[in-house]
Amino acid sequence: MDTVQSEYILSIKDVSKSFPGVRALDRVSLDVRRGTVHGIVGENGAGKSTLMKILSGVYQKDSGTIIFDGQIIDHTTPHESMKRGLAIIYQELNLVNTMSVGENIFLGRFREMKGMRGTHAKAKELLENIGSKVSTTKLVSDLSVSEKQMVEIAKALSFKSKLIIMDEPSSSLTSEEMVELAKIIRQLKEQGISIIYISHKLDEIFEFCDIVSVMRDGHVIDTKPKSEFTRNELIMKMIGRTIENEYPERPRNVGDTLLEVRSINTRKLHDVSFTIRKGEILGLVGLVGAGRTEIVRALFGADKVRGHKVLIDGKPVHIRNPKDAKDAGFGFIPEDRKFQGLVLPFSVESNISMASIPRFTKFGFIRKSLEKNIAAQQVKSLSIKTPSTRTAVNNLSGGNQQKCIVGRWLEISPKIFIMDEPTRGIDVGAKYEIYTLMKEIAEKGGAIILISSELPEVLNMSNRVLTIFEGRITGEFIPETTPADRIMSAALGIVGGES
Amino acid sequence: MEEKKSVLKAGASMLRDYLVLVMIAFLVVITAIIEPKFLSGSNLVNIMRQFGPLIMVSLGMTFVIIGGFIDLSVAGTINLVAVVTISLIQPLGQLPALLIGLALGIVCGTLNSILILSSGALTQAEALFITFGMSTVYSALALLYSHGSTMHFWDISASKSVFEAIGGGNIGFFSVSFVIFLVLLAILWIFQSKTADGRAICLTGGNKTAARLSGIQISRSIVEIYVICGFMAAVGAIVLFSRITTAAPVIGAGYETSAILAVVVGGTTLKGGKGSVLRTVMGVLLVVLMSNCLDLLGVSSYMQYAVKGAILMFAIWLDNRKQA
Repeated sequence: MDTVQSEYILSIKDVSKSFPGVRALDRVSLDVRRGTVHGIVGENGAGKSTLMKILSGVYQKDSGTIIFDGQIIDHTTPHESMKRGLAIIYQELNLVNTMSVGENIFLGRFREMKGMRGTHAKAKELLENIGSKVSTTKLVSDLSVSEKQMVEIAKALSFKSKLIIMDEPSSSLTSEEMVELAKIIRQLKEQGISIIYISHKLDEIFEFCDIVSVMRDGHVIDTKPKSEFTRNELIMKMIGRTIENEYPERPRNVGDTLLEVRSINTRKLHDVSFTIRKGEILGLVGLVGAGRTEIVRALFGADKVRGHKVLIDGKPVHIRNPKDAKDAGFGFIPEDRKFQGLVLPFSVESNISMASIPRFTKFGFIRKSLEKNIAAQQVKSLSIKTPSTRTAVNNLSGGNQQKCIVGRWLEISPKIFIMDEPTRGIDVGAKYEIYTLMKEIAEKGGAIILISSELPEVLNMSNRVLTIFEGRITGEFIPETTPADRIMSAALGIVGGES
Repeated sequence: MEEKKSVLKAGASMLRDYLVLVMIAFLVVITAIIEPKFLSGSNLVNIMRQFGPLIMVSLGMTFVIIGGFIDLSVAGTINLVAVVTISLIQPLGQLPALLIGLALGIVCGTLNSILILSSGALTQAEALFITFGMSTVYSALALLYSHGSTMHFWDISASKSVFEAIGGGNIGFFSVSFVIFLVLLAILWIFQSKTADGRAICLTGGNKTAARLSGIQISRSIVEIYVICGFMAAVGAIVLFSRITTAAPVIGAGYETSAILAVVVGGTTLKGGKGSVLRTVMGVLLVVLMSNCLDLLGVSSYMQYAVKGAILMFAIWLDNRKQA
């Protein structure tokens, strides 16, 4: 162990961490070999993020030892750990949108770089090194997600990082961008840089990683070379049980037309019209930025739109804001759970009850006991894992947070449920529960509009899909009988057509 | 071991939560020891009086801050309401003057909220600038209306018994202004913690986007918080000029900062969502006691500004620690 360079870049031994009411990490041990890609999989709430935040210095561990590059790390800060050569690239990238690429890479270090010229020259070198041709003077707000990721990686390299942690790097990348990412990971590895790769997506884990660790409930369950894991074994270890299917069957009892939308026109959308039937799941397929979210936001009254018509059960309804939409029978799960869905510091109870306040209000006064019942009932029927209904929703895992939002709307039994990325960033087990819920809602006669960046999810859950390209509907398909590539090419704007 | 630790932690967080109470007790004891005059009847009456106008303004400000916004226009509102109300006692009689004064506060608040809503300003910083601008407008109107001169009670020959009662009267043991405070506190506390509108305001302050996408009318919450704040500023203005029996068009200067200080020191977070009017009562008590104690100890008023600033910084620092 006392040789100059141990074979491990990072050794974690018996690290524990508790939060009020939760033991997030329980004597976790993990060794990362130099120059390898080490995958960490686990459901949300398994402790992956907590472990990474301890490594980077955002949290402090309660006990245990961490040895990074031969040095014992005790109390550290994010800045110190970066300087030491340990960089984290978070899922929600940490860049300043209003500054240029070069400025972002050397943020706060312009003097070291001898001014702007040096900054941009060095930034260009770093980016070229990883095969990126992004101009260093471009504003970060003008970059695509994958370009931003490149900038983050370049930034990590500028600190001469020996270990780069990538937290869910693929969650908003297109498939072409994934190819790029794969290339970069290979390059980094060749340069002797170790990588910890955190993901829910098993395909990526099997593609990129050399060694895989599985975390569950604050423990490292198993660490093995990738080749010794089978896909099913990995899933089983992650969730602690087996699941036969990734998706339940589609809802079967599709009824009459429930909703009719006529000609939504905005700056981004062009003459969008469609219908949805009772008991149907309608999927919207398209690239990020094609206008899927804009369509449902317009429908829900979240963005101002004029001139379109909405009919429910043949009767016109006038929706000017989300409250009108709620009263007309819509429910809405926004794409960004933390910033658009939840009031994070508030309790599970108030987060669940916030769409149904009139239901437990008499003469303008809140009846606390009724509210408590409502929340307790949703927690029970959706089996939301929380110490109590008074716990801050912030302390729950992603899947359980999402269930709180689902429960919020189920309480008012919406006729039309809009779900924008309902399973983003949540684990396999919780995903299946959400799918089952969707099926139940549809089978009770509700209609669901589903948006997802994961194509298999939309294709396997929807009765019907619409493809969206550059703000227009380019096709309508029955996914059960249509090959996926035909749907995909319509979503890419290559061919249109009905099926 | 683990249990002990968590008990300690819970204790520490509780202490942090109610630090303001500890500080009040500490302040009372220390000052009473150093300066026995502190507990004399006349000084306590003095404290009660200082408490009056500031608590009214601060209670209103609490709602704006819980709703995730801020209101710097209260100083201007106080100026305008004070000079208009006092000038109307002679021509219209005291009750109409009182009602018009209160209505004027509501109008100012409504105007603020309309400006904020119509400009689409949804951040605290934007609200800060809009209401700062409105404060200058209201102050200018007060100056124009009064031609810059101070109006006095002794110039009014009509009956002004209501205002004299508000300024110096007693109901039993309590001063009239203290009873007004208790009644308003009860109403506002019930509104904040027991009604659907109060809940909507908290949710709006907690996360405006999430609240709106859950079908809560945040525009209604925004109008409500500014109307309450404007109304309470008007009440504060009336209590203030009734006590000092004069109304200058700059009478409200400094009340906006003192009110924000009291609300934050009381423990309502500037980030919005969490807080309470009861906490604000403690905050005001601390601010008033502090300045009274510094007065008694002979600390210069320049130095007192520095102390106030330091306390505000400390309160914000503490608040951020709590969030983390």
